Amino acid sequence: MIKYILTIMIYLLVAQPALQAQPALQAQSAQDSIENKAQIELGRRLFYDADLSINGTMSCATCHEQRRSFADGNQAHPGALDDPGKRNVPGLANIGQFKNLTWAHNHLSGLAEQSLMPIRGTNPVEMGMNGHEDEIRKRLGQNGCYQKLFLLAFPKEKGSIHFGTVSRALESFQKTFISNQSLYDQMMEKGTSLPTKNAQRGKKLFFGAAQCNTCHTAPLFSDDDFHQVQPREQKTTDYGLSDVTGNPKDKNVFRTPSLRNAALTSPYWHDGSAKTLIEAIQKHDLKINQTLSHQEITELVAFIDTLSDMTFVNNPKYAKPSKKCPY
Amino acid sequence: MKSVLVVLFLLTGLFANEALLPTELTAWKSLSFVSGAKSANELSNASLVLNNASLVGLHPTPKIQYVTRPTNEGGTVSYGGLFQITLKEKGLYRVVLANASWIDLIKDGKPAQSVAHAQGSENSGIRKMVDYNLDEGTYTLQLSAGADTKSALLVTKLK
Ligand code: HEC
Ligand code: HEC
Repeated sequence: MIKYILTIMIYLLVAQPALQAQPALQAQSAQDSIENKAQIELGRRLFYDADLSINGTMSCATCHEQRRSFADGNQAHPGALDDPGKRNVPGLANIGQFKNLTWAHNHLSGLAEQSLMPIRGTNPVEMGMNGHEDEIRKRLGQNGCYQKLFLLAFPKEKGSIHFGTVSRALESFQKTFISNQSLYDQMMEKGTSLPTKNAQRGKKLFFGAAQCNTCHTAPLFSDDDFHQVQPREQKTTDYGLSDVTGNPKDKNVFRTPSLRNAALTSPYWHDGSAKTLIEAIQKHDLKINQTLSHQEITELVAFIDTLSDMTFVNNPKYAKPSKKCPY
Repeated sequence: MKSVLVVLFLLTGLFANEALLPTELTAWKSLSFVSGAKSANELSNASLVLNNASLVGLHPTPKIQYVTRPTNEGGTVSYGGLFQITLKEKGLYRVVLANASWIDLIKDGKPAQSVAHAQGSENSGIRKMVDYNLDEGTYTLQLSAGADTKSALLVTKLK
């Protein structure tokens, strides 16, 4: 009996903190999710707001258009002050799943740090906000909706508006960019077959003889790693990863781009030099790519077409938000 | 007087090398001033004439009520304006612009889809050219997200 009571008492003693902690934990995660939801909402507004550029002419969405899977159709896009663009605008499908961001960088800490490159970067100047953090605070701070959203999204920082909070909100929004509803995904999920013979053969080639999957690895269709596939005769001033690391071994090395929605993101290659998927495939300095027959390339392109996800490019959650304040 | 000076100044600056212009763009050389409308109500005072280039005055974005929300509406510190133009026939038209403002051409509440984009050649004073297949009728031309209070603007028929 005594043993029994003791057990209960011990149980109560041990269990009590845990029992108390649980609602607290729940409250904590509920609070986190309120903050996260507000950050996504805020990040979405910021993504479409041209006040993030020096002269109010350019938002993230000026270069990253949803209907093109967040690429933009130009070889390179000039900045807000008309400085020429340096590289092709990449799409942003599933961007939250990449460790290495941009065409060739291996130590950006994440999407927040990356977003400051267009905002205040100088090589090239894109949004032109270097040294103008106060201006962002001023512009956004006079808008009642932003005041509310920053406060909800960053209560610990009392809704303070600065590069840090702006970039974390942009990160939260971009982490929601999930693309996994392509014909290829439906095939994987439901066992449906790809729509055409060409696409079916292309898939076989992609994962088999053509070895595309070794770098463009499913399901992301990128291994998130760096490779040297540049044509040898190419003249360039952009040496990719070695421009960041200073290591000669990294010369002309670029991160494998994802091929999801690639049919929507022409032109291709880090410098936008390939106008079509066919040119892009042939451009790799890889024996296999250069010896593919015309028919095989057609098949690979047909397969890449099945990686397009129209639910992603039409998802209203990623579109420009209505002017009305959500809170 | 002052505005004439501005026009002259802009002309000399923008069109230093007008000889480079292809013939279908010669209208680019002679400008008249048109102040952009801030809302649909003011559109009748902001008419453009086909094949006549205009020097257009633009307004701070927060003062403007666009007819249709532009894809790129510009931040609070940018400039824009509304114009109207009546086209007598269906065809391929080109909007030519001296700055990089976003262009929307709207009829019956619907923006026309552009069919081609180009930049002007260097020193032509042209920053941007956008082509559209348009029907006859009256269009609202919206400029948004511009960097300056003025631009030169021309609508011309290609085919
Ligand atoms: C002037 C055009 C332009 C603007 C404006 C712009 N970007 Fe980009 N973005 C690019 C280009 C070009 C790259 C590739 C940069 C590189 O590789 O060096 C890029 C890369 C990225 C990447 C990395 C993608 C990848 O595959 O790793 C992300 C994320 C991104 N941009 C988000 C943003 C956000 C958020 C904003 C707004 C704050 C923004 N961009 C504004 C042109 C632009
Ligand atoms: C050794 C690794 C590797 C292999 C194998 C490989 N690729 Fe690539 N691929 C890359 C890299 C790296 C790039 C980016 C190059 C650049 O932009 O400088 C790229 C770019 C591309 C692009 C352009 C994408 C864009 O958004 O610009 C396409 C399309 C493509 N590859 C398709 C293929 C196909 C199809 C195969 C198989 C026949 C293949 N690749 C094999 C590494 C590889």
